[in-house]
Parts: sequence; structure tokens; C-alpha cells
Amino acid sequence: MRSRDGNHSFTLAICSVVFLHSLALHASEYLISYRYLVKDATLYNETLFISKAMKKCLGTPQKPIYLDNPKQKSLKDLLSSYDSEFIEYIHKLGLHVEHQEKTNNFINSSTTILTLKTTCFKVDINENFAKIAPLK
Amino acid sequence: MKYSLLLVALLSSSTIFAADDTTKKVTMEPAVSNITVVCPTGSCQKPTEVVAEKACPAPELHKEKALEAAKAEVQEEVLMDNANIRISVTGQGVAPMNTSSPAQAYALAKRAATADAYRLIAEKVKGVRIDGEDTIQNMMVKRSTVRTSVRAMVRNANVVETTFKEGLCEVEMEITLSHSQFAQ
Repeated sequence: MRSRDGNHSFTLAICSVVFLHSLALHASEYLISYRYLVKDATLYNETLFISKAMKKCLGTPQKPIYLDNPKQKSLKDLLSSYDSEFIEYIHKLGLHVEHQEKTNNFINSSTTILTLKTTCFKVDINENFAKIAPLK
Repeated sequence: MKYSLLLVALLSSSTIFAADDTTKKVTMEPAVSNITVVCPTGSCQKPTEVVAEKACPAPELHKEKALEAAKAEVQEEVLMDNANIRISVTGQGVAPMNTSSPAQAYALAKRAATADAYRLIAEKVKGVRIDGEDTIQNMMVKRSTVRTSVRAMVRNANVVETTFKEGLCEVEMEITLSHSQFAQ
């Protein structure tokens, strides 16, 4: 339908700007860090920190993970439901290993800490899938 | 005069032929020798000439030495340009005592075993720092302490197999290393 002033291109431009802006807002950036501690071959502590980035991150997305049919709209809820897949994915990305072992009078004790240093992830949640990719 | 000249010509020709006969004898004699020469280039001929036989082994020895040196260098270089190294380890972990279900025990034990496997990979690839300290007092060992530590970044390690038996979880993990990953 033709508008009253007849300016089709202007209306189209406004609509496309609004649409692209909404898409850009949907793909947001999060800071994620992960750490777990194993003491004497027993898991002692595990933490996964998720925070929305307050500054724009630099870098390009690499090696994304796709999570199918996300019912949750927030990343925290999404990752709590896909925790095993996401933690396996974090392991693939690479973890910093720090191991210390002490043998005192032939009594041994060991501590191993695996850490994913705080990394910025680009998160895009659609109706069909969620795409999470680290920025490097 | 003519006859004398003819005589001189005949004599000289006979001496030349006589000389040819002697050289033939000399050249035929070395053919009986039992020296066997293996030339890697394949350019060496049958041992008809003694000089050629003696000249061939000298560069051959040099080549053998050079080959041995090259082999030694290759053996020293662990990670070659076109070859990959696959490192396989098995990490072990146990579940804590206060777990609410066997599934939780399995999950926690698996996490601990994965960390152990990562540690083993780091130890193999990067190495271990070891500090030891013994305190001896009155000719007796009072305290013996050994500290080991590893620090590394492990990427692209794959879990091959996971087994859980009698509270012990074992995770078999492997990593493939290539020369390009370490190229600077």
C-alpha cells in the first residue's frame, strides 16, 4: 500500500534500521570464566562465572558451539540446562593446568586447578538455536 | 741411407708395440683382485683400474658419516615437520564420600579424572618441576619433602574412553601434537 506522502524508500530505510538494530541487540557479549579444583583425586570446588560485558569486546568469533532449541532466554539459565555440553566445549577451547604435589615423609597430597581465564563470548540466541563463540 | 731410416722406423715401431704389450699386462693384472666396492651413487665401474677402486671408498666413507650424523640429528628432533605425535594418558579420580546419588558420584569422579588426565598431558608435554628437601639431624632423616609442580595450557585434548568401577573413574584422553603448533 502506498503511503500518503509517497516516500517508499524512506519508510523502508527506517524499517531496515530498526530490524538490524534489534538483531544487533540480540547478539550480546558475555564474560565467562571457569575454574575447578581437584584435591587428592577428589573434586573439591567448581565455579562458572557468567557476566554481561559492560564494554564492547574486541576480536573475532572463533569455534562456536550451537545449542539446539533453547527454551531459556537468559544465558545463565541456558547454560545451566546445557552444562555438560558447555563444559565439554570449554575443555576443548583450552584450560590452564596448575598442579602441585607434596610428599612429606612419604605421605602424598596433590592439588590440581584447571582454569578458563575470563574470556569474552559472543552469544546469539534465536528461536531455533543459541550460538556461543569466544572472541579472540 | 734409406735402409738405415727404414730400420730406425721398424725399431721404433717394434718398441712401441712392445710397450703396448707391457701396458696391457699391467692393466689385466688388477682384474683378478678380490676387492668389492659398493658405491652408493652407482657410478663406480668394475674394478678394472686400481686407481679408480682406491678413489671410490674415500667419498663413500664421508657420505656414510654424513648420513649417520643426519640420522642422529633426526633422532634428536622429537617433533618432525610432517609427523604428528599422539600422546595418550589415563587419568584417575574418585567420588567424594558425601554424594547424594550414584550419578552425582560418577559426575564428580569423572571431573576429577579429567583434571588428572590434563595434568598427565601437561607433565608429558611440558615437563615437571621437582624440588626436594631432606632434613638430617643427629645422623637421622628428620624430614623428607618432595614438591612437584606443573603449569601448562592444554588445548584440543579429546576424551577417548571413560570407565567407572567401584568408585574409581578412569578417563583415557589423547592429544595430537604437530610441528606447526610450536612453530614460531
